[in-house]
Amino acid sequence: MDASLFFLLNMGYGVLTLALVALGLAVIFGLLGVMNMAHGEFIAMGAYSAYAAQSAGLPLFVSLPAAAVVTGAVGWLIEATVVRHLYERPFDTLLATWGISILLREGIKLLFGVDYKSVVEPVSGSTGVLGIDYPTYRIAVMAALLVCFFLLFLWYRKSHASARVRAMIANPELAAIVGINTERLASLAFAIGAASAGIAGAMLAPLVQIEPYMGINYLLQSFFVLVVGGLGSFQGLFIGSGVIGGVASTASAALGGSGGYVTLLLVSILFLWLKPEGLYAGR
Amino acid sequence: MRVADLSLPLLLAALVAVPFVFGNFTAYQVGLFLLYGIVAQGIALCWGRVGILPLGQALFFGLGAYLGGGALIRFEHSPILLYPALLGAVLVPAAVAGAIGLLVFRRNVGSGPYFSLITLALSMLAYQIALGADWLTGGYMGLNGIPPLPGTDPWSTLYWVILGALVLSTGVLLWITRSPLGQLLHAVSQNEDRLSFLGFDIARLKALAFAVSAALAGMAGALYAAQQGIVTPQVLAYVLSGELLIWTAVGGRASLIGPVAGAVLIGMLTSNLRDTFQYWEILLALLFLAIVLFAPTGLAGLVAPLLKRLPKRAHAVRDVERPLPDRGDPPTLSFEEVRVTIGSVRILQGLSLELKKRGLHCLIGPNGAGKTSAFNALMGRLPVSGGRITWGGRDITGLPAHKVARLGIGRKLQVPAIFHDMTVGAHLDIALWSGGISGWELLGQGAFRYRNEILGVLKEMFPFLNDEDKRAGDLSLGHRQVLEFALAVIARPEVVLLDEPCAGLSTQETADLIAAMRKIAGRFDISALIIEHDFSVVEELSDHIFVLHQGQTLSEGTLEAIRADHKVQAVYTGGTK
Amino acid sequence: MRPRLSVAGLTAGYGDLAVLRDLSFDVAEGEILCITGRNGVGKTTLMRAVSGALPLLAGHITLNGQDVTALATNKRQKLGLSYGPQENVSFAPLTVRENLTLHLDGHDLSRYERLFRAFPRIEERLEQKAGSLSGGERKILSFCRVMAEGGSLVALDEPTEGVAPENIALMVDAIRAIAAEGTALAIVEQNLTLVEAVADKVIVIDHGEIVFRCMAMPNLRQEIEAQLRV
Repeated sequence: MDASLFFLLNMGYGVLTLALVALGLAVIFGLLGVMNMAHGEFIAMGAYSAYAAQSAGLPLFVSLPAAAVVTGAVGWLIEATVVRHLYERPFDTLLATWGISILLREGIKLLFGVDYKSVVEPVSGSTGVLGIDYPTYRIAVMAALLVCFFLLFLWYRKSHASARVRAMIANPELAAIVGINTERLASLAFAIGAASAGIAGAMLAPLVQIEPYMGINYLLQSFFVLVVGGLGSFQGLFIGSGVIGGVASTASAALGGSGGYVTLLLVSILFLWLKPEGLYAGR
Repeated sequence: MRVADLSLPLLLAALVAVPFVFGNFTAYQVGLFLLYGIVAQGIALCWGRVGILPLGQALFFGLGAYLGGGALIRFEHSPILLYPALLGAVLVPAAVAGAIGLLVFRRNVGSGPYFSLITLALSMLAYQIALGADWLTGGYMGLNGIPPLPGTDPWSTLYWVILGALVLSTGVLLWITRSPLGQLLHAVSQNEDRLSFLGFDIARLKALAFAVSAALAGMAGALYAAQQGIVTPQVLAYVLSGELLIWTAVGGRASLIGPVAGAVLIGMLTSNLRDTFQYWEILLALLFLAIVLFAPTGLAGLVAPLLKRLPKRAHAVRDVERPLPDRGDPPTLSFEEVRVTIGSVRILQGLSLELKKRGLHCLIGPNGAGKTSAFNALMGRLPVSGGRITWGGRDITGLPAHKVARLGIGRKLQVPAIFHDMTVGAHLDIALWSGGISGWELLGQGAFRYRNEILGVLKEMFPFLNDEDKRAGDLSLGHRQVLEFALAVIARPEVVLLDEPCAGLSTQETADLIAAMRKIAGRFDISALIIEHDFSVVEELSDHIFVLHQGQTLSEGTLEAIRADHKVQAVYTGGTK
Repeated sequence: MRPRLSVAGLTAGYGDLAVLRDLSFDVAEGEILCITGRNGVGKTTLMRAVSGALPLLAGHITLNGQDVTALATNKRQKLGLSYGPQENVSFAPLTVRENLTLHLDGHDLSRYERLFRAFPRIEERLEQKAGSLSGGERKILSFCRVMAEGGSLVALDEPTEGVAPENIALMVDAIRAIAAEGTALAIVEQNLTLVEAVADKVIVIDHGEIVFRCMAMPNLRQEIEAQLRV
């Protein structure tokens, strides 16, 4: 009984954090259509921001807005200088962003070195939940995410923002004709996608290993979440996180770490092959 | 990929000189990067020629390395088994790639990053397996103590074998590029739909290119094992795939030897500077970005215009007259209660029509009646949820586009679909090949042009078709419409589906095209099913008219009969431009 | 009274090639101007220049008294220009409803009431993706969007191309209706039936220049055809 509760909490944590990690890519790839190979590095930058805040003696919750600002600014810069010229050439954006990911990784190596860093949890210890002890910080993260996602979902339903971004990608000339400021919208969307990845990194920093190559796995996970769930919609993001998170948790519990990873890859490849538009087609 | 005939022998001579000028150790290093260069050439074939981007090519390199290394260890003393096993190191990656390619490309109509990311995910999967399966791959430590290739010394004479492999791979790629197959591969990257409507199996073409690239990578991997004497999971790693991509991009993805130059120059620089110059990796990333943004054809692309100034030999072009396929009784094209539903919208609601006799038939109807959808359902582009479509009695519902085309059903799209960067002549060639080209001819090297009677008539009526070197993307809209029409009819299909063929044409151009349709359909016994709105065109053209409304056939008959029909009058009143 | 749209000395083209030379015309409030001519003479180039997609090589464009020559396309929409292009007329992956509301402030479809009555098909297909509509239906969708946008100047490029004749008649009604309410319209059309039905004045363009101007008159069609034949 306790074991299954523990397992369920772990799965809930896994699914929610996966959704958080993939959110930035959902905006940039799902809405803008840019396969951002540097997505993982944005998350890494968020994590390193948390580390930097800690080294400067600042509390963790300061690093959240700091991470958002730093990664948002870098994202904005990348969009303005590189991505903006490549909207017509999807493969070239893939390559360009991947070149940027290398750049960012090397930058991190230069600034922080290659050894593993760690960030201390702002609230340590465990809390009693339904009769078992579960780490407090994890519970805090899960609660915060539930609230934020709910609010985000409401906003998404109400606003024209997602339709405008998708319109801009589908037909940029027509978007301008109906009055959309396409340059500003693209910049904003990209920056927001980057910032949310940064926040993800900062929030998860106390819970993961921080090293320059941490981003690659997040990139693949995020991509597979979107493939399974479907691009261009909030529902897709959650469905994808649910499936991938569920599979990953179950496989890890049953087969151990690397067996879990292999299962994850196999399931994702299967989806890519059989149902590339995902389970919930929002586009 | 045009390279002046002079440059290849020069480069080969330079490579031959390396051990003599720079010594064996440098030759060893160069040899290693020449191997990477061979892999990069394969990537360039996929990416620059066909338009598919493999992100995990290290998978095949690594596969070749493990298989080659394993073969060298196990069959060290029995050459009878060794050489076939080494051949296996080339063929197994090719087979795997071909299988993956067919599976992925048959599914994916249209492109996207999916193929690319599948290849990346697969290479990561292989990496994990190589790390974990100690009993198979030696795990983290890999395969050790691989003996050299019999009769060679990795530190000296193996270089010649590597050079030979490079010559082989360059030769193979050059051969492919210059053959009709090469043209077809290029056309895939230009307009898949158009090519499949001509009857070519796109999935197979892409998978073929992918398999060739994997074979080259496997060959390079096997030689890598022989040279290095050790194979670790790093040969499968994400990092190597990434570097290969950078070398290909910087060297020139549309070039034959550019990727090799990229691998040798950049690769060697990286390995030498990595530890001494802290900022090298960052500089490289910036260079890569610059190439992607400003010079997509890479260094080779910058050099190529210089090469174009060198004089080239003129090629004699042989004309090959192709007989027209025979004509018997036309098979009946029949829609039987066809239903097409997308989401909740019923696009075709039990459409029934029959095309029995030869002639020009028009398909008219209000907007949204289902005319283009009927064509799409026939060509397998829309899923049919009820009823069936038959051709000569045979059920062809749901057949993919290229198979339907092969049955003798041609199609011209509403917005002219052509291969923008290819010449008019190349278009006509490809269309004529669609009528049937043998495997030998597909790989043939001699410059030849198919001709047939229909082409002759078309050229007479539309002189611009004689300007065969003109780039199709530079043609005016009117000419592009005519060109696409030519592509659809040249191989003498039984039936050609024309979707608003006169859209966007002036009055004169419309008259010319109508005259051409009548002449060609009449003289060569080709039936036509034409979607039109303009009644003046319908008047000129048709012997028989189908009126569609809300996904069903409302009425059919001659123009007078249609005009007199009250049902038709109720929903549809005619008008001219 | 100040004209809604004023074009003076407009010269535009691609690269160095001037496709249009020194064009000048006005459209007043409530007036319908039809621009016609053979294929390839520059009519769409003119529309794209007016909408801002194409920069001018010379000349000025004035919208409601304001010089918009250097103004970006989306800003011209804010100033009252509603434009329906000839090609790529809708957002294919978005639903019909999204196509009709995304540029507005709310989700309210009441402004389309009249147009939905004329073109019920569009209302039926509200939740369908625009890309799955037929070519003619998409043209009608674009027409609806433009006509209800509330601009003071409506610019239409070949609105009837690909549209079935019975719907063209309904378009004529809609055009007449908003002109009566004071909207100025500039319509590029090869379909002389429509031109005959709505034009207050006509411009014929040939070889990049205006070769003929006239007001609406009884034998308008013959006059224009005579010009086109020459």
